[in-house]
Amino acid sequence: MDPKVNGQLQREWGWLIATYLFLGGVGGGAYTIAAINSFLGESLELSTTVGLWIAFPALLVGTLFLIADLGSPSRAVLAGMKPRTSWIARGTWIITIFMILSFLHLILHQFTTVGEAAGGATAINIIAVGGIVFAIGTMAYTGILLGASKGIPFWRTGVVPVVFVISAVVTGHFAIMLGVTLLSNTADTLVPLRTMALEAAGLVILEVLAILFFLQAAFRQPDPRESAERILRKRMFVIGYFVLGLAVPLILMIVVYRSAPDAAAAGMFPAITIGALLGLLGGLILRQAVLICGALPTLNMAGFEFRRIHRPKEPKPDIGMLPPQ
Amino acid sequence: MPRYGMVIDLKRCYGCYACSMACKTANHTPPGVFWARVLMGEVGTYPNAVRQALPVLCMQCEEPSCMEVCPTGATQKRDDGIVIVDKEKCMGCKYCIMACPYGARYSVEEWESYFPDGLPLTPLEEFQKKAWEEKSGVGVATKCDFCLDRITNGKEPACVEACPAKARIFGDLDDPNSEVSILIKKERGQVLNPEFGNKPKVYYLLPR
Repeated sequence: MDPKVNGQLQREWGWLIATYLFLGGVGGGAYTIAAINSFLGESLELSTTVGLWIAFPALLVGTLFLIADLGSPSRAVLAGMKPRTSWIARGTWIITIFMILSFLHLILHQFTTVGEAAGGATAINIIAVGGIVFAIGTMAYTGILLGASKGIPFWRTGVVPVVFVISAVVTGHFAIMLGVTLLSNTADTLVPLRTMALEAAGLVILEVLAILFFLQAAFRQPDPRESAERILRKRMFVIGYFVLGLAVPLILMIVVYRSAPDAAAAGMFPAITIGALLGLLGGLILRQAVLICGALPTLNMAGFEFRRIHRPKEPKPDIGMLPPQ
Repeated sequence: MPRYGMVIDLKRCYGCYACSMACKTANHTPPGVFWARVLMGEVGTYPNAVRQALPVLCMQCEEPSCMEVCPTGATQKRDDGIVIVDKEKCMGCKYCIMACPYGARYSVEEWESYFPDGLPLTPLEEFQKKAWEEKSGVGVATKCDFCLDRITNGKEPACVEACPAKARIFGDLDDPNSEVSILIKKERGQVLNPEFGNKPKVYYLLPR
């Protein structure tokens, strides 16, 4: 007998939802950076192309992960029915519109004949502005979805959306760096990549501050504190996220930025590849750890301080039955 | 139209789990699903600490957070205040499970046998599985509905009927002469975690 008790971990959302939130974040982050780059006329146009090529497929695959997690996937079309009160319904609309805009932007950007036609550039700019708004909406949604869950105090400290938005920008940035490195590892590319490495380092530092703020906020309340202690006991979080997902990429990005901007420094490409891959892995681990450490609140009433009794898990009894022959 | 609610007298409850078992029998809930749960814990401080049972079920909230977050409108509140799930509309996103601070909701995709080592379902389990799937569906959110099929036939919810200590009382909260209304008023009935703002309709009478 294993009834739900107060303080018990949630088990319904696991790695499928973590991957959905992660890919939504990567898509939103990559698009935002790509669209801003296209506005600023960034020296490395490849980063815009790569960002656009990452955004739409990431969102599409992420949505498939969400659908795979549904208990009744055939009814997924009903997901946007109640946007007035439900964040899943709002998110459905936000992501759908964002997918359409990112797809249109990709098509217009890729087929230059369309882009160069009269009004083509204006159309791209209008789409990019709308795309950025909905990309930010998507990144925020992945955090607000959790933040609006009344049953899990760990997610309701108010900081989860901030952490997820910053992590989305970081992972989107790393995804673009990875794509650029894999597609063009010449000395010409290294100069803008060094600038991107500096930006990545700054963003990772921002994420470190955000996650520390998140944990500090969680430690201030009893129920979230239990989850915060639990997450800090997880090797997956401490080693997988903090060390491999944040510290190592940060060091590698600083090393890349400080390297000499000449052909001899082409050895920096493996460093960028490893740093970006670990940074992406860290983003996935963060979401998975935050999800699986979410627990139900403690139930109490005024003048009734109910403390639950933890009972050790008993082994399954041997009832002497043999499996069928 | 009545507004159904429940009173649970913690002075009377001694944690026998009869309510949990009656609920399972009446609603054919699968293994691991307990619409009527009994949490065991303790209250008070040494040397006056005592063991205490805390029965918990769906609180049939006035302002249910599960209904608020449901993206499809599958979770609805009836005129009599009972919160139900329309199994034909639920897509199984499990967001309502995350939104319920009382942990009252479940989602079951596969019915596993009560018996260990992957044994096939017994004929009784097969019957229960079929009855469960007809009533609650597969892969969708499920919860206590105050035994809607029983109360529409003039009976009490199974947990109320089964309680040997008469610790559970069911009735109309809007009727000032109902037993639940009198008990709540006389013994200052309280709700669990009022700070959640859900306005539960399950009240508790506390041990003195």
